[in-house]
Amino acid sequence: MNMEQSPWDPEDVEIDLDHEGGLSADAEVLLPALEPRALYKRLVAARLLDHRLSRLGLPMWAPSAGEESVSVAVAMLLGQGEWVYPGNRDLAIAPILGMDLDELARQVLGLADAHGPALYNGRAGAVAATDLGVAHVPESLGSHLAMAAGQAQAYKLDHHERASVALFGEGVTTSGLFHETVAMAVSGDLPLVMICKTQLWPEGAPAEAGLLGDSVGERMRACGLWTRRVDGADFFGVYRALQQGFARAREGRGPAFVEVVVTPLYNPDVPAHRDPVERLRRYLDRAGHWTPAVEEALEQELLGQLDRAFDYARGQAS
Amino acid sequence: MSGAEPHANSTSTGPLRRLGDEIAALLREDPRRVVVGEDVADGGLLGLTRACRDDEALAARLLGAPLTPAATVLHAAGLAMAGRRPLVILPSATALLEGLAGLRELARLSGSAGGERSGAVVIIAPTGPGFGLGGDGAASPEELLTALPGLRVVSLGDVRESVALLRAVADFDAGEQPTLLLLPRSLMVAEVKQGSFAGSLGRSLGEARFARHGQQATVYAWGATVELALAAAEASGLDVSVIDIGGLSPLDVDTLTAAACTGKLVIAHPGERSPIAAEVAALLADRAILHLDAPIRRVGGAAGPLAYTEEGRALPSVDALVAAIREVVNY
Repeated sequence: MNMEQSPWDPEDVEIDLDHEGGLSADAEVLLPALEPRALYKRLVAARLLDHRLSRLGLPMWAPSAGEESVSVAVAMLLGQGEWVYPGNRDLAIAPILGMDLDELARQVLGLADAHGPALYNGRAGAVAATDLGVAHVPESLGSHLAMAAGQAQAYKLDHHERASVALFGEGVTTSGLFHETVAMAVSGDLPLVMICKTQLWPEGAPAEAGLLGDSVGERMRACGLWTRRVDGADFFGVYRALQQGFARAREGRGPAFVEVVVTPLYNPDVPAHRDPVERLRRYLDRAGHWTPAVEEALEQELLGQLDRAFDYARGQAS
Repeated sequence: MSGAEPHANSTSTGPLRRLGDEIAALLREDPRRVVVGEDVADGGLLGLTRACRDDEALAARLLGAPLTPAATVLHAAGLAMAGRRPLVILPSATALLEGLAGLRELARLSGSAGGERSGAVVIIAPTGPGFGLGGDGAASPEELLTALPGLRVVSLGDVRESVALLRAVADFDAGEQPTLLLLPRSLMVAEVKQGSFAGSLGRSLGEARFARHGQQATVYAWGATVELALAAAEASGLDVSVIDIGGLSPLDVDTLTAAACTGKLVIAHPGERSPIAAEVAALLADRAILHLDAPIRRVGGAAGPLAYTEEGRALPSVDALVAAIREVVNY
């Protein structure tokens, strides 16, 4: 296996889907329950949604290309009655859970129509869905983490075998609310799954990155949290770590902290294997399940759905 | 955060003891209710959860929190969104300034995501001087907290109403909305005669109350200043109304306006400057302009922080209030 390390590849993480699309024995076990072609469609849908939204000119829009494994895995693992408290790069969770694309477009565009007034969902472009367990995205840093912990507390009080999930980027980990939430989750032994997306900085990290040491996961382990560090380009690695985190929380074994190393794909120097969509495509290609024609048809279908939804939402706006 | 327990194990007529019994009753009545706060599992800094702690059936719903000022409030928000009815007990209302990010987000819930998830959280906090703490323990942060849209703020103005006010707040009599109940420390150390606690408010939550009826002037006050206003009205020898504003956000505009018919208005407030008093003055200047026969006078206390030995200066003096009453009456 030719595994050339790039400066964007995290070290010391277990790899389930390698650079060339080869699958580990542990991940093989997950198949065929995780149907790889359906999985690929979800990752592509998340990517295209991000591309589509990047063109809208939303204020303070944060692109999320390269982070799709997290959104897709969370949406697949979230159980009945469980709530997810997304960050501002996790928009794909709601549609994967089944949110109607017309409603998604209406909320993203902040439009008032016959279905109701323009919704404030925190961050511009955020969506929320009570029926699906998707919370809004508060503007104040780290607020959603503490609310997710409160939700987890409620599950614990009710003896529900459920987990509450919060997603955020490493930048939030310097905030007071992040530390307060960790203290709350650890002291209350709450069924909370914290998912932190971090990135490596081959050319040096800016102060805003919130870097304190090599790994936030390491820091959190010192706080007494069960932690895992995984590669965001490896969907199966992300899925398996989150699956363990969810299982622990649901079984009453306390909070979990999963650090997912993602790579923003806008840098042209980033090698293709850092892209979670491309990596799964390589797997499908090796298995004989991928052709350019299949890809073309898939993208046309998904983009058509998105365009129809956004056109429809604009047409309905009052 | 700072806190102290005045008169530990004081007589059974102390309001904190009665409030603690009421909190236990509230938890017994509605299994959705939980208490969140530092030390609450051990009775709480004010002793407000002792009765709950001593009842095995309730103890599991006392959720002790570490020193997490913002997360404590948001933890309660998460519990409320999941269908619980949290009562957050704080050692001091000034803790909300440390946790302002959380309080602001809680207050915004009804305006977020279509308001589908409830922010039915009650926050109970002592405010103003009275425990001899000075500093934060003498400050009245309601001046800042009433500026948050979505947060209901009510202040206790008569210790005999403490239990009834807690119940009205916890029952969300005026609608399910995050509500801050301010308990003036000076009232919490008062001794109350057996049987004199009111069973119910006898008015809507947040409604202003005539504490004294008079024709020559009206003094508006809230919290600990109500007693001072009553004392000043008495000492002035004039026929003076005293209004307990009660609901600080939203204000009971109708009652406040109606009480302005004397045309001679004084507003008593804690601290040196008061956005609440300024708002009331502007409101009355707008709504009651045809009644006004004198400038609206505001009378405050000293700006903080104050040494614990001088914490009483945070409130206006009775003498200053009497002078203001005479001034507007003789204008």
